[in-house]
Amino acid sequence: MRPFLNVLSPGAALACLLALPAGARAATPAAPATAGAAAKPAPASAPAKTPSVPSQETTMKKSGEAFPFPVDEKVFPNGLRAYVVHYDSPGLVAYYSVVRTGSRNEVEPGKSGFAHFFEHMMFRGTDKYSQEAYNDVLKQMGADSNAYTSEDLTVYHILAGKTALPRIVEIEADRFQHLKYSEPDFEKEARAVLGEYNKGASNPLQKMFEALYDNAFVSHTYKHTTIGFLKDIEAMPQQFAYSRQFFDRYYRPDNVTLLVVGDVDTAEAWKLIEDAYGGWKVGPPRPVVPPEPAQAKEKTAALGWKGATLPQLLVGYHTPGFSTTNVDLPALDVLAELVFAERAPLYRKLVITEQKVESISGSNDAHVDPNLFTILARVKKADDLPYVEKTVSAELARVAHDGVDEKTLAEVLSHVKYAFAAQLATADKTANVAAQFVALTGRLDAINAYFSLYDKVTTADVKRVAAKYFQATNRTTVTLQADR
Amino acid sequence: MRGAKTILVVTALAWGAGAARAETVNAPAAPAAGKAGPAPGKAGKTTGKVKGMRTVFVPSPMSPLVALRVFFHVGSADDPAGKEGLAALTSDVMGQGGTRKRTYAEVLDALYPLAAKIQVIGDVESIVFEGTVHRDNVAAFADLLAEQILEPRFADEDFTRQRQNALDYVTKSLRGNDDEELGKHALRDMLYPGHPYAHPTPGTAGGLGAITLDDVKKFYAAHFSRDRMIVGVAGGYPEGFAEAFAARFATLPATGAPMPKLPKPKAHQGADVLIVEKEARADAISLGYPLSITRADPDFYPLTVARSYLGEHRTFNGVLMNRLRGDRGLNYGDYAYVENFIQDGWSTFPHPNVPRRQQHFEIWLRPVPPANALFALRGAVHYTRQLIEKGIPEEGFESTRRFLLNYADLWTQDVSRRLGYAIDAVIYGKDLVAELKARLPKMTKADVDRAVKKHLQLDHFSVAIVSDKAADLKAQLIEGKPTPITYDTAGTPAAILEEDKLIEKEALPISAQNVRVVPAAQMFEK
Repeated sequence: MRPFLNVLSPGAALACLLALPAGARAATPAAPATAGAAAKPAPASAPAKTPSVPSQETTMKKSGEAFPFPVDEKVFPNGLRAYVVHYDSPGLVAYYSVVRTGSRNEVEPGKSGFAHFFEHMMFRGTDKYSQEAYNDVLKQMGADSNAYTSEDLTVYHILAGKTALPRIVEIEADRFQHLKYSEPDFEKEARAVLGEYNKGASNPLQKMFEALYDNAFVSHTYKHTTIGFLKDIEAMPQQFAYSRQFFDRYYRPDNVTLLVVGDVDTAEAWKLIEDAYGGWKVGPPRPVVPPEPAQAKEKTAALGWKGATLPQLLVGYHTPGFSTTNVDLPALDVLAELVFAERAPLYRKLVITEQKVESISGSNDAHVDPNLFTILARVKKADDLPYVEKTVSAELARVAHDGVDEKTLAEVLSHVKYAFAAQLATADKTANVAAQFVALTGRLDAINAYFSLYDKVTTADVKRVAAKYFQATNRTTVTLQADR
Repeated sequence: MRGAKTILVVTALAWGAGAARAETVNAPAAPAAGKAGPAPGKAGKTTGKVKGMRTVFVPSPMSPLVALRVFFHVGSADDPAGKEGLAALTSDVMGQGGTRKRTYAEVLDALYPLAAKIQVIGDVESIVFEGTVHRDNVAAFADLLAEQILEPRFADEDFTRQRQNALDYVTKSLRGNDDEELGKHALRDMLYPGHPYAHPTPGTAGGLGAITLDDVKKFYAAHFSRDRMIVGVAGGYPEGFAEAFAARFATLPATGAPMPKLPKPKAHQGADVLIVEKEARADAISLGYPLSITRADPDFYPLTVARSYLGEHRTFNGVLMNRLRGDRGLNYGDYAYVENFIQDGWSTFPHPNVPRRQQHFEIWLRPVPPANALFALRGAVHYTRQLIEKGIPEEGFESTRRFLLNYADLWTQDVSRRLGYAIDAVIYGKDLVAELKARLPKMTKADVDRAVKKHLQLDHFSVAIVSDKAADLKAQLIEGKPTPITYDTAGTPAAILEEDKLIEKEALPISAQNVRVVPAAQMFEK
């Protein structure tokens, strides 16, 4: 389970097309998914819990674990949770505001893409700091500032010198509580979002991921990608009133977590946050996300492409939502490595020996609710698409039948361990990793809790999950090739 | 090697692990939490020479990671005529192929437990082999990297695979999977007609088709020499490691083919426009022209302030971003550059180690709906003209100067980027971050205005537009009539509407003979 956007091989020239820049990294083609093979409905989102929480403060100073940094945690009376992560980045601090709302929460018809759109609107100013004034403050700091949205979260991040922290807390607390924008500004920003859709539309992956999720899901909001359906994006300028409701509903202290990572004094951070966010109130209950029924039969979609492209194959299998107790998840991570790593037999066969495929990848991205294990292959000839599809299925079946030996399992575990350590290379990157877990569970200790699950993965688990999830009835397949 | 953009796709984000799981596996030491780590060496930077090779060592004793960068002053400018793509293909076969001791499959097998990748990033005058690895694994990783550079296998199967990948990239991905990148590559061809920089670094369809494995071997022998090389090591590496790593490359030839001479780029008369015709929801637009300066020139630094003010990449600081996207909702983003910049649109900070002896000015307008494409183009010209004619506003100068003073620190956040910038400093003879830190406090608005007047102009430039309305666009460009913006949103402020009237008739120096339409399927053919 990878908490980030899907990652494609360097050969896929346009891999991360949907990772959105400037205002957002919305439209992650990453997976949504359903309860499919789990044979029970996905858990519905919990309605908002709004009662005040007594102030709690704990200090966790652990090292030698997957997330080895000293962490301080505090829950403020209004339910706002904040973490200070002490990272050796002299003079620098990363400030992340994690809203546990993404395209998963777009439950009303016609509102797909709204979480991402709203992320754009958060830069449109308040009474105290107009859009220009807000930008000026960041510019004076020399800060790197941006935001992105995925299925399960919206993240606002600022990286700047540590002396800027008081001002950062002030401007972020201000806009999270007092956002105010005009209808004309709202409409103009809606067209910037359309521009973002247009930007991605020249890459076939946008079309493929739209089709994958639209087909794989029936009732859950993972049916649409984060950027949203085009018809909903085109209608966004008419949704001004709804945008205020959206802010009122989701931008609340009990739905937001702050991460302050780097060269930070904890007492100072708590004082700044208490002063700036103390008056923020909890809001109305939030809508429940509809569950997804189990998929009963295989689904397919064959797409055309006007213009040049390599043929591509995208496959999704329903897998469970994130959990720190379900060993199936790390077992699926192991399986992804076993079958799709560049050293794996499948890669050797298709890419190196037969040279029928330019690149192939597979991953089980982490999501709040059940989502998809996705497989993507860029195939050299359209006539080989059925062969590649069949070969991938056969390899998954082989693992389900033969399992994996202890030595190989140990090598995979070593690999993922070092790869994770490499992700924590800067304060900013560390904050970003932390944000994913916070979005999934609300808690930073989910990182080490999840990693401890790896200790429990056995060769039998890997074999079992290969058999359990990778069945044809649990599969949605999308192919794309140039129009003839 | 496909140019920085395609190579620098984020690498594996796999995660997980339980340290107690298998005793045969070494747990990585904790990442820099503050006090951990064997901490050899001293922090700082040293540059030197080992057997004719330049070296750059940037120790960070607290870091659990080690970054290696082996840079060659070799690139697509070295491609022989008719073999466009040879430099890139050679480096691909090296960096994504086998070695004398191991097949490519065996290389991948050996890399796997290290959780590190060897990446090859290339441009017109640069090829860098680089990777970052946990210090526990640095010795094994260094062996693999050195093998690929010193003992490439040049196997038939590696050559066949990488050449086909390059061909597919040029003829399928570039032509049909990303209009923004297509527009940028099209512009580059226009900026440098008959110049070694002209063709895409990955090559042309014709050039790649003509390259043989023997060509690759000969190119390697003639160009990968110590005089064109810089070896860089950074991070928490063991004592003596950096020097020993650099010394391994002493077996490469001392000298190789000389770097190609670069002619002065030809200036166009007026605006030269290429419309790349293909299916598209919106029109990607790039415009620019060659500059006569690089980081080595003092004028580069005030010009950097002007560039940032006009369109700092991926920020809301720039005039273009605020006026075209913010006020008018025309598209997703609008930026300006004074150095070549082709990398993933979502990435923020410029990649290091893509130096050029000649640079260019460029404006990038992300796709604009066809009805407003020419208005957006005129808008970009309008705001650039304002900067040239009126100078940078005092307030804009002060805020941009202050911004860059702090922002430049963010370019070197991790050990690999720190190393990359240190290598660039050796190449240009000037450290970009250090120069900005030293010059910005003393810089004046007059310095910026003078540099702008001297280096920015709108009399002759090139424009590449990717569009499926090529005929209409061509006719409009030639007619030169006003192209008013079409709003489908309400409430545009009166001041913006007034300014719209100026922009819609902004003069473009375009004549009929300088507007061409080329189908995407014919791009990068030769």
